[in-house]
Amino acid sequence: MDESQLIARVRAGDSAAERALYDAHVDRVYRLAFRLAGDDALAQDFTQETFIRAFDRLGSFRGDAAFSTWLHTITTTVVLNGLRKVKRFRQREADIDDAHDIGVAQRHAEPDLKVRLKQAIENLPEGYRTVFLMHDVEGYTHEEIGVALGVETGTSKAQLSRARAKLRVALADFAGEWVQ
Amino acid sequence: MMQDQEDPKFEQWLQDAARTTYHAPRTTPRDEMWNKIVAARRNKRVIELRPWLRWAVAAAAVLVLGIGIGRWSTTRTPGPRVANEIDSLASVAYQIAATQYLSRTEAFLTSFRADANRSTNTARLARQARDLLTTTQLMLDSPAADNPRLRSLLEDLELVLMQISLLNPVQDGHDRDLITQGMNQSNVLPKLRSAIPAGPVPVRTEGAL
Repeated sequence: MDESQLIARVRAGDSAAERALYDAHVDRVYRLAFRLAGDDALAQDFTQETFIRAFDRLGSFRGDAAFSTWLHTITTTVVLNGLRKVKRFRQREADIDDAHDIGVAQRHAEPDLKVRLKQAIENLPEGYRTVFLMHDVEGYTHEEIGVALGVETGTSKAQLSRARAKLRVALADFAGEWVQ
Repeated sequence: MMQDQEDPKFEQWLQDAARTTYHAPRTTPRDEMWNKIVAARRNKRVIELRPWLRWAVAAAAVLVLGIGIGRWSTTRTPGPRVANEIDSLASVAYQIAATQYLSRTEAFLTSFRADANRSTNTARLARQARDLLTTTQLMLDSPAADNPRLRSLLEDLELVLMQISLLNPVQDGHDRDLITQGMNQSNVLPKLRSAIPAGPVPVRTEGAL
């Protein structure tokens, strides 16, 4: 059964088809949510919200684009909006802590690549970070990213280029590893 | 520009490093998430069977909170003087529903903050928070959220309730402290209390929301 038939069955109220459609796409949705959120509970929450919205709005899916593209538009909307809310909440918590606990000085004292890479990616502007993670880490095309984020393909490419440039500067201490 | 020059070796190294070290996902918990999706959709359908409720809550929020918020609002717009008997009856019903929601939320958050010895079961707390979160999100999606102060309060409540609903039973002590600190920092409870109209809580509407 192809995907359009599956979607038609879901629209007709077939719960087995719902599960089949979910199974076909959940891995990619969850992976993207996890990459962006970095937290399993949040990633699960965002994934669930994505599918709840998708099933509710399936009537508005006209099939002009691939179902996966439409689904990833919902995913990025849910995740980015959710992360903004969480960030706002965590910022309040951070404001309570002493400033030296979250100081930037630790970045320079930390020689571990994993930690430095994490800091560098999280210091990227939201748009750059999203495009970098979708393209370089999760393998989305610029066309898919453009549709999901509602930007031109050229914008996606430009943001990726700038993201890489910023990361290259931030990770200059590790240049020996990639020059080899 | 130097910054925009491509460097295939760096890009390959960066991709490999990021894929293996940055937020590397575990195996997708398919069944766990699916069960929650099914439960949430079932619950949503129950709410959607009563569409009047959504707008009742929204209208109640505007009517009731417009008065309640006056205590911490610097500007107050006089309401329309045109009100017929039907509107009056409806507003009473809306007032009861909205007051019930706010009172339940206030009681829940107060008991959460006061539960210093962690005697309340985490799963129970999370379940209660999810119930209230659903109503909060309905109100955020309604015209009630057009009021900036009410929207701000609802967003604060949404954040707190979301955090509580995500509490991890294994390490919830630290998380609870953080949530409580956040509540104190943002003055959620005082704002919430000042938005609740004075008078007894309409207990007879228990479960209406």
